[in-house]
Amino acid sequence: MALLEIRNIYKNFGGIKAINDFSLVANKGEIHGIIGPNGAGKTTIFNTVTGIYNADKGEIFLDGKDITNLPQYQITRLGIARTFQNIRLFSGLTVEENILCAFDFMCKYNLIGGLFPTKLRFKEEKRARELCRNYLEIFGMLEYINEKPENLSYGNQRKVEIARALMCEPKILLLDEPAAGLTPTEVSELTDLLKYVSKKFGFAVLLIEHRLDLVMSICEKIHVLNFGETIAVGTAEEVQNDPKVIEAYLGVEE
Amino acid sequence: MALFINVLTQVCITLVAVCGIYVLTGLTGMFSLGSAAFMAIGAYASGLITIKLGLPIIVSFILAILMAVVVGFVIGLPVVKLRRDYISLVTLGFGESIAQLLIQMNYLTGGANGLLGIPRKVKWPIALASAIVSITLVAMFKRSKYGRQCIAVKSDELAAEAMGIDSSRIKMIAFLLSCALTAFAGCLYSFYMGYVDPGIFGWKKSADWVIMVFFGGVNSLTGSIFGATILSALPQFMRSLRDYRYVVYAVMVVLIINFKPNGLLGEWELTPTHIKETFKKIKNKFNRNSKES
Ligand SMILES: Nc1ncnc2c1ncn2[C@@H]1O[C@H](COP(=O)(O)OP(=O)(O)O)[C@@H](O)[C@H]1O
Ligand SMILES: [Mg+2]
Repeated sequence: MALLEIRNIYKNFGGIKAINDFSLVANKGEIHGIIGPNGAGKTTIFNTVTGIYNADKGEIFLDGKDITNLPQYQITRLGIARTFQNIRLFSGLTVEENILCAFDFMCKYNLIGGLFPTKLRFKEEKRARELCRNYLEIFGMLEYINEKPENLSYGNQRKVEIARALMCEPKILLLDEPAAGLTPTEVSELTDLLKYVSKKFGFAVLLIEHRLDLVMSICEKIHVLNFGETIAVGTAEEVQNDPKVIEAYLGVEE
Repeated sequence: MALFINVLTQVCITLVAVCGIYVLTGLTGMFSLGSAAFMAIGAYASGLITIKLGLPIIVSFILAILMAVVVGFVIGLPVVKLRRDYISLVTLGFGESIAQLLIQMNYLTGGANGLLGIPRKVKWPIALASAIVSITLVAMFKRSKYGRQCIAVKSDELAAEAMGIDSSRIKMIAFLLSCALTAFAGCLYSFYMGYVDPGIFGWKKSADWVIMVFFGGVNSLTGSIFGATILSALPQFMRSLRDYRYVVYAVMVVLIINFKPNGLLGEWELTPTHIKETFKKIKNKFNRNSKES
């Protein structure tokens, strides 16, 4: 049984076919790339999988369980975590608190612990904070633990957002243009990190990306979209040499 | 001295209610213009239970707060699903109808004359202790996973949901905690005054509380407490100010919005980390100044 199976989903906005018959099967440990020009419907796929939008048609299965059109927070709890194209960290919280938030649905104390300093609260908070430090350390961000996210550089905000997504302990991680706005050094650093964490924690990754180099270097399978349609699926080489892709995405070469 | 004790007691009772408003508005970003109605429920229910049923005060307090929480749950069901701007409208409508209901239910509440004959058992030490307990509880709440989730929902509800936070549930918890605290303030109020007048629980009281929270710093419990203390004590000491209270409030709100949009204290809290940071800042400033001269 596949870890994530997206079966023929459709999504319309008014007259715009944002997703037109998209399917994908991902297994544990795989990294899938989704590429395509602006407005191709990539972000809409993520928003539909994570429950922000309801699919007009089609089904989505996680571990064999039908998760189509479940509420957003339940889908996350079942194991799909994500980052956003335009970073969405919580501005009223520190870096640490931002990351802790993503673990709070697994934090086991109740409202009694929310109002009184119970033993369980102390224990659970400690466990959460240790996990958080762990992730920050992997991303080399430990020194910013008490900073406000708005004081961080763009690249560091992206790292915090990925660390926050990992804190949900996902089976599948959805990354929406994680390299946008980063310098070339930051991009190669990020690529290495992504390879490392996906191995270490054993989840699958769906990666939306603009930059071909990043997608080509880490993705086993690439889906190319244009105007909501999937125009090619395959390995980096297969996709690169597909005439439809060259025409739509890479531009017709003279 | 009597004046001082009176003001102290009233300020403490207000602080209990403002703790509730801080949870709702400060932490979770929901504006209620009907919170005073929950104070009314607390005040009338506790008074009536003691007068009519002769139950001990503690029991009537607990029953009254429970009743407010039950009513809060029913009102909360639509409120937590609504867009933020509609929340004020729904709570406003609810609050005003409760105020009317209290006047209409003559046989039970004494109507427009108010409910008389409540034993005056709450003195300033009880009020002060209640304020301290409420502030401590809310401070604990803010630092817990619940407080974090409230702030996350306030800051970006969609992203909060994407992190597995059930935002409706979190908003409901904040709403009910807020109902319980304002109802508690109502209990204290009726047993301090000895009577309850239905006229004081309208939307103006709810708006007062929201202004107090914003004045001191909507993101800071310390600031909210500070704002509430100043804004509720000042008019009591300066009688002449009392008639112009809303003029003074309006001027303050305009000044705050223009010069300190996050309130007097911003996000500053009375915690060791914040105090240390402040000391560091002052020291740096001092060093720089002495270097320049
Ligand atoms: N909430 C929405 N309402 C209306 N149209 C939308 C909405 N979200 C996306 N779209 C439209 O769907 C198409 C795909 O958008 P998107 O998925 O953001 O593209 P990509 O991420 O590939 O750049 C675009 O034409 C966009 O305008
Ligand atoms: Mg996009």
